[in-house]
Amino acid sequence: MISETVKEEKKLKFGLFLGCNISFNRPDVEQAMRKIFPALGVEIDDLVGQSCCPTWGTVPSIDIVGWCAVAARNLALGEEKGIDLMTACNSCYGSLNEARHKMLKNPEIMSKVNEILAKIGKKYEGKAKCRHVAWVLYKDVGLEKIKESIKYSLDGITVAVQPGCHFLWPSEVYPDKEKDPFNPKVLRELCEALGAEAPYYTKLIDCCGMGALRSTDPEKSFILVREKLECIKEEIDADLIVTTCSSCLIQLDDAQEKLRKEGKINFSIPVLHYVQLLAICMGFDPQQVAGICVTPRDEVIKMILEGGKR
Amino acid sequence: MEITEGVPPVINLTEVAEREKEEFEKKVSELIIEFGAENLLACMQCGACASICPLARVGFEWYNKKLIKAILIGMKEELLDDPTPWACVACNRCTEICPRQVAPFEVMFAMRRLMVEEFAIPTLAIEGLRSLYEHGHAVYMTGREARKKVGLPENPPSTDSDEKALQDLRTILKNTKLAELGLIPME
Ligand code: SF4
Ligand code: SF4
Repeated sequence: MISETVKEEKKLKFGLFLGCNISFNRPDVEQAMRKIFPALGVEIDDLVGQSCCPTWGTVPSIDIVGWCAVAARNLALGEEKGIDLMTACNSCYGSLNEARHKMLKNPEIMSKVNEILAKIGKKYEGKAKCRHVAWVLYKDVGLEKIKESIKYSLDGITVAVQPGCHFLWPSEVYPDKEKDPFNPKVLRELCEALGAEAPYYTKLIDCCGMGALRSTDPEKSFILVREKLECIKEEIDADLIVTTCSSCLIQLDDAQEKLRKEGKINFSIPVLHYVQLLAICMGFDPQQVAGICVTPRDEVIKMILEGGKR
Repeated sequence: MEITEGVPPVINLTEVAEREKEEFEKKVSELIIEFGAENLLACMQCGACASICPLARVGFEWYNKKLIKAILIGMKEELLDDPTPWACVACNRCTEICPRQVAPFEVMFAMRRLMVEEFAIPTLAIEGLRSLYEHGHAVYMTGREARKKVGLPENPPSTDSDEKALQDLRTILKNTKLAELGLIPME
């Protein structure tokens, strides 16, 4: 007779919400997630038919019900299957969870949204939410399991963490919250679990200047990214910048090259999304999980694969 | 004494100005409240939101606290041409820190919504909306070299490869204010 105390471990399963930037701009981040999660025992559902979250400059700038309706269709794709979504893009994380928060807080919005959804034979009850991959790794998978899963460690490597705005604020709308949203620890601990040093630096929570700011005024946007990069260089001289946001990833990687070309900075710091870094440490092919960048990554990847081999 | 004889009745200009200003002010702030900034009137102009706002940091004119003040005193025309609300990164630092639960981010976005009504909308935003309607993605690229390079199928499992889902999304958009305003062609 099987002992009653033996409980089956709850199977983790999430709908992989990609968002536009990861789908088209940085599919190596998508590939990294497709590699690491099954290997860590997390099942992925493709969430077939998903769309843009919707991002801030589109429907959210027109009206709230429309914003919530587009978000609700995406969330409903998970709700129908009884699963939550998860994303590696902070903008998607922000837009989907803010929309959900509005619908839960305001029944009038929720009912208007469902009137619209009824036209396509769908409904949303507010159950499914969007989790952030970093939180799934931190809370559901756990640091111990991450430590056990890696083949290469980051001993001796210093990383500068960039959690990004929508990982933190407004904490009220998010399913997972830092103890102090102005002094975030989760990404630092996730990096430390890989063996890296992830020290505090003064501009750790500062904005990278991506998104609306960059499309409205690139010059002003570059002020922020330059200050951030200089702070990282001067204060902690990081080997690598690690972020949990695909927008921060693009901005820090891409704008850095522009600043170099304009002679405004004279150094180069490779940038990776955390899921890419984890995938490399787990032994997946760097060409597939981290093959797209503007600021070169080869050296730091080589350093990880050679220096950090266990 | 008849010193006022021949002098037209005195109109108290200050009073008229006050009254008109009050009506106008009501209109702008009411619209902003209606468009999502429910707690606008709770602002006490403490400046906490400005101290932390990336837009204020890099020199945009009408950042959160200042925009709120402008709305509260009834400015409107001056604000319609300004790009600041469209630069707001929606980071919500301001929402987190505001001691009065004003959610300045909502004010920035309500301002966007008001500007949209007046057709003061940046070209880039129109392009994003058009792309969202056409492809289901605001950021969309036809080139698929990157996906192929990293060993993924050319099409992500989104509206990009699911015609029914794309039609569903279009039906949703056609039933929102976006269609009422006629900002983009929606056949
Ligand atoms: S922090 Fe809040 S109360 Fe203070 S100025 Fe900003 S919106 Fe007003
Ligand atoms: S949400 Fe907008 S207004 Fe608020 S701090 Fe961020 S950029 Fe500034």
